Amino acid sequence: MPAGSTRVNGAPVDLSEVPDDERLLDTLRWRLALRGTKEGCRTGDCGACTVLLDGRSALSCLTLTHEVEGASVTTVEAIANGRIGEAVRDAFIAEGAAQCGYCTPGFVVALTGLLAERRASTPVSDLLEEMGGNLCRCTGYGTIGRAIVRAREAIR
Amino acid sequence: MGFTLVAPERPEEACEILASAAPGQVAVLAGGTDLLLDLDSGRSHPDRVLSLRRLPWRSLQWNGPTLTIGSTLPLSEIEVDPVVRARIPGLWDAIHGVGSLQLRHRATLGGNLGRASPTSDLIPMLLALDASVEIVGVQGIRSVPVDEFVLASRSTALRVGELIASISIPEARPSAYVWQRVRPSNDISQVGVAVARASRAPFWRVALGGVTPRPVRLPEAERELRAERPLTPEVVRAAEAAATHAPFATDKRATETYRRQLVGVLVRRAIAMVSAPLDRPVGWA
Repeated sequence: MPAGSTRVNGAPVDLSEVPDDERLLDTLRWRLALRGTKEGCRTGDCGACTVLLDGRSALSCLTLTHEVEGASVTTVEAIANGRIGEAVRDAFIAEGAAQCGYCTPGFVVALTGLLAERRASTPVSDLLEEMGGNLCRCTGYGTIGRAIVRAREAIR
Repeated sequence: MGFTLVAPERPEEACEILASAAPGQVAVLAGGTDLLLDLDSGRSHPDRVLSLRRLPWRSLQWNGPTLTIGSTLPLSEIEVDPVVRARIPGLWDAIHGVGSLQLRHRATLGGNLGRASPTSDLIPMLLALDASVEIVGVQGIRSVPVDEFVLASRSTALRVGELIASISIPEARPSAYVWQRVRPSNDISQVGVAVARASRAPFWRVALGGVTPRPVRLPEAERELRAERPLTPEVVRAAEAAATHAPFATDKRATETYRRQLVGVLVRRAIAMVSAPLDRPVGWA
């Protein structure tokens, strides 16, 4: 199946070798060696595999690679190349919003997409609610919540 | 796993692929957020997966009072439409509650209907809105009310060679969808209640989800509601009727007793949201 002009982190990628049944998560991690995107539950519950597809957050574990043909895929490796992603990264660092770090790429990518999509005047409570698709099992949500608030302030 | 992915550009081609295959041989892929779980677990093992991504079914349009939503439009696109939210607030409630934002960026209304999960939060709302399903098939086009479309758990009225092209809601209705879950995001409702006020009798539509083999309307509760802004006794009678007649069962998510208790509360809450919309919590839009 022809892959069109799919881009990953700005660079065109050739997906012609990718089997039809392969998930975007596996293509990113094992074919393109972009291991920042994590596999957590593989059932769409934890958000660790979140990437941006044309700027919108999506679960790469529940997306077939060929379904994104022609799209622009952004992973955590390139997220801080943009102004919002940079602010999100800096906020997570400043608040120490990572412990084991496994969920962190998913949080950073999801929040970058969310802040880009919504007005910066979005109430904090709504941002926190919309981040409900990402699970953390060790840091606790206190520092992550503070990082979300900090990132929102930084881009206002 | 181990399937071939096909993504035709014309609906006729897609229907032809379905019509020429043996049952179970071809799986239909819209957003994939439910199907891919089945492919992973082996519950579904098709030879081919038919992707709808190239079909021209991503529109959202009003024709007079009727809203028509393309079957493959991502849920998040419906959610961000300010007119939809203002005119059919219950649809927004139900959609906004599905999974998480990253899931709603992929999941579709047509996919939710076609998969006919007994725990769908969208089907009860579509029932209360008297929505219908426009179907395209090798035999032509037909339209089926949602109530007749969803036959049972994971079973629909789709025939061989047919696909859902769009979903139509005949009129804007004051409406609400409320639910109870263990976890607000990425969880399945223990009980979901959809309420809508129609322009003709019965003026109040009440539907239940999450708890029965298929989402159902509750005529016993609807009959108790008459006024445009029902007073407490009327609402209490409706809530009691809902709790009595809801076809609840006990499963891993909740006991029957808890669900009966809960449905009374949720029916009262949903009616209040429709009767006094200014009291609704204000979201981000």
